[in-house]
Amino acid sequence: FPPSFEPVPCKPLFFDVALSLVEFPSLEDKLQTQKAATGGLTGIMKGWLWGGKKK
Amino acid sequence: MAQSILPGLFADLQRLGQNGQYDRAIKVVNKILQESPEDETAFTCKIVCFIQLGKFEEALAAIRKNAKLASCVVFEKAYCEYRLNRTNEALKTLDSSDKSDDRISELRGQVLYRLEKYDECFDIYRGLLKNTEDDFEEERETNLSAVMAAMQLWGGTDVEDA
Repeated sequence: FPPSFEPVPCKPLFFDVALSLVEFPSLEDKLQTQKAATGGLTGIMKGWLWGGKKK
Repeated sequence: MAQSILPGLFADLQRLGQNGQYDRAIKVVNKILQESPEDETAFTCKIVCFIQLGKFEEALAAIRKNAKLASCVVFEKAYCEYRLNRTNEALKTLDSSDKSDDRISELRGQVLYRLEKYDECFDIYRGLLKNTEDDFEEERETNLSAVMAAMQLWGGTDVEDA
């Protein structure tokens, strides 16, 4: 005693790549509805404001 | 008019996600789910927020409570189980997925490594390295060499020529 030193293999590196793949899904569809909605709303506003003058 | 607040909330959610402000994103996502409880995209975002905040138990609890939407967060569910060291459950969850995309394979590789199933794990990393093209190629190479080291040491397989 003490026992003599002996080499042991080191623990290899191992990365958690999956965590990097945990991300929000694409929200583009949801945002496009927004553009359509604002477009629709301005459309209605225009209709109110200028609708009478068209004809 | 109640419908029209959703797109604005989604825009907030996207911004907060891009900035990594997941604690604030959860509040926004809860508002969205109040308006539209069955929105799969919002629900997925909520689970992603929990994971990014390290709240794996809470993520699993939310998935348990919402069985209807559970099928759209299979990868996320398995990842939580993996991080909570419920490795066998994680593998079962991954096996239950009907679709197999690269994220599922990536996580399956990590799960199999923990379960010391190095041969299967090796095949998965070979496949991933062939099929994926993103910023994590070096990390995958590193993981593959860890698998090969384990096979050489404990698997009784000679992988020197692999």
